[in-house]
Amino acid sequence: MLAVKATGLARTYSGEGAPVTVFSGLSLDLEEGVFAAVMGPSGVGKSTLLHLVGGIDRPDAGRVEVFGSSLEDMSAQERARFRNANIGFVFQFHHLLPEFTAEENVSFPHRIAGVPEREARRRAGELLERIGLGQRREHGARALSGGEQQRVAIARALARGPRLLLADEPTGNLDAAAAANVFELLRELHRERAMTTIIVTHNPDLAARCDRLFTMSREGISPSVGLPERG
Amino acid sequence: MRFETFVALRYLVTSRRRAHVALIATISVVGLAVGVAALIVSLALLSGFQDRIRNQMMEKSAHLRVSPARGVRLADPARVRGALAALTGVVDLAASLEGRAWASDGEGVQAPSPVHYRNGARPVGEQGARITGPLAARLHVQQGQTIRLTSSRTRLSPIGPIPVTAVLTVSEVRRSSALDRPGEVEVSEETARLLSGLGEGAGAFEARLANPLEAASAARAVQGVLGADYVVATWWELNAPLAFALRLEKTVIFLTVALVILVAALNIVSNIALTVVEKKRDLGVFTSLGAAPASLQRIYLTLGAAIGLLGTGAGVLLGVGLSLALERFRLVPLPADVYMLSHVPFAVHPGEVAAIAAFALLTALAAAVLPARAAARLAPGEAIRLSR
Repeated sequence: MLAVKATGLARTYSGEGAPVTVFSGLSLDLEEGVFAAVMGPSGVGKSTLLHLVGGIDRPDAGRVEVFGSSLEDMSAQERARFRNANIGFVFQFHHLLPEFTAEENVSFPHRIAGVPEREARRRAGELLERIGLGQRREHGARALSGGEQQRVAIARALARGPRLLLADEPTGNLDAAAAANVFELLRELHRERAMTTIIVTHNPDLAARCDRLFTMSREGISPSVGLPERG
Repeated sequence: MRFETFVALRYLVTSRRRAHVALIATISVVGLAVGVAALIVSLALLSGFQDRIRNQMMEKSAHLRVSPARGVRLADPARVRGALAALTGVVDLAASLEGRAWASDGEGVQAPSPVHYRNGARPVGEQGARITGPLAARLHVQQGQTIRLTSSRTRLSPIGPIPVTAVLTVSEVRRSSALDRPGEVEVSEETARLLSGLGEGAGAFEARLANPLEAASAARAVQGVLGADYVVATWWELNAPLAFALRLEKTVIFLTVALVILVAALNIVSNIALTVVEKKRDLGVFTSLGAAPASLQRIYLTLGAAIGLLGTGAGVLLGVGLSLALERFRLVPLPADVYMLSHVPFAVHPGEVAAIAAFALLTALAAAVLPARAAARLAPGEAIRLSR
């Protein structure tokens, strides 16, 4: 089964200046369970692609199906519920909410889903334990190191046990050691939870360790040849 | 606690990244509190005065008055008396006799003044009269001196028809109040019958009740018994122009002072709009975690409600506390020789406080609607993309 099937996607941003077409006619098929990397120069729309696949942005044309469900056919409410249950996001900048503790940040997906506060915090605490940050659960986001912040952000993305994880340069803002650490954690959790993962990265070494590599350019997205298929 | 409430309350209490936003939040709460307190104190001041006027009305007016729907005489005075007497809580019941006359001093030196006479609720003595200060001044008479009331009614005499006249002793000169008609003279029933020519029967019947606040229900009961041939009026209706003026005064003061609350509401709009801008990235993150637009809208509506609750709560405490203190310790004295009151009265009516609180809360909530809708419309992908 295909985890992601994107067909003929187009997205144009219209800001103060002239409209900027990021891409058009972009299509992507990704099988379930794959750990895929997307590489490409800045500005070709890697982040935009993740946002469209995750349903937090809408394409100007084209369709996105995630695990067979068309995001275009859902209402905003249904798309939000689907995202909460099936899709996790990790961003380049951890985007933890500074007013809240690590545990509260990780408990948000549960609370949005309507899980009672106590249970949501218990589950968040367990997940933080799993990624080795159990002792940091009561710390505010600002009290954590860069690597820890990104690991908490990963825990938040995985809180609801999503089948699809979308990571937008999760190591882009970290030093080499922290980056390796975070990437390894993502690999581990991917295997452990049998997820489908798409990671956008500029790091060829990390990309080389993924099951599949897609390269994006102004012309579109294409699978790179020469990378070993990993199971 | 719901997710939206949890987030909204945290936004409210945590220090902001930019100090001016925190300041504006504080100003929003304080502004609303000041508006609510100002409205409560203003209405308490007004109620203090109006309660006294109302009490005077209850004290001086008949609580119920039954008069004929047509004509000046009751067709069946006994039936009217019976219907009023059958009511529970009637403490006093009397025929009402009144009319117009000319008043002059006993010697006839001063030019006559038009007056309205009526049999008084309080006894004045058979040949006595209770007059108001202005009338006494006009006639140059004092207590104990005589006045002459000349009715428009005439009687036959050997020299032809002559006006009916009564010479009365001024038993009391009282201070004039807002409730008095100009030139009102209270006389005994006998004098009123003489001047009006009503030897028996009455133009109306008036009753006083143990609880004047039950006048409306009592009036309905009497009207039901007597039917449409009679008009039954309560003390509030008898003083309708003044009652209307009091209501109008309160409404105008409410609307005027409520502008302070509206200004506070504009503060709330700017505060929440600033928070929406400041927390744009958070909105994008919440969306990525599965929050629906309606949920984001609720966060800011809850924030508005929280500011409303805090501001209203503080304002109610401040306003009620201040009003009670002003009344209890008589903090605004008045010269007793000039005014009828020794201090400016304040009266807090719980119903009015509840109405002000509800108005302030609804205004605060309404102020949050626009920025909350803007939050729900925010493009989450863009919010995240632009907040690196």
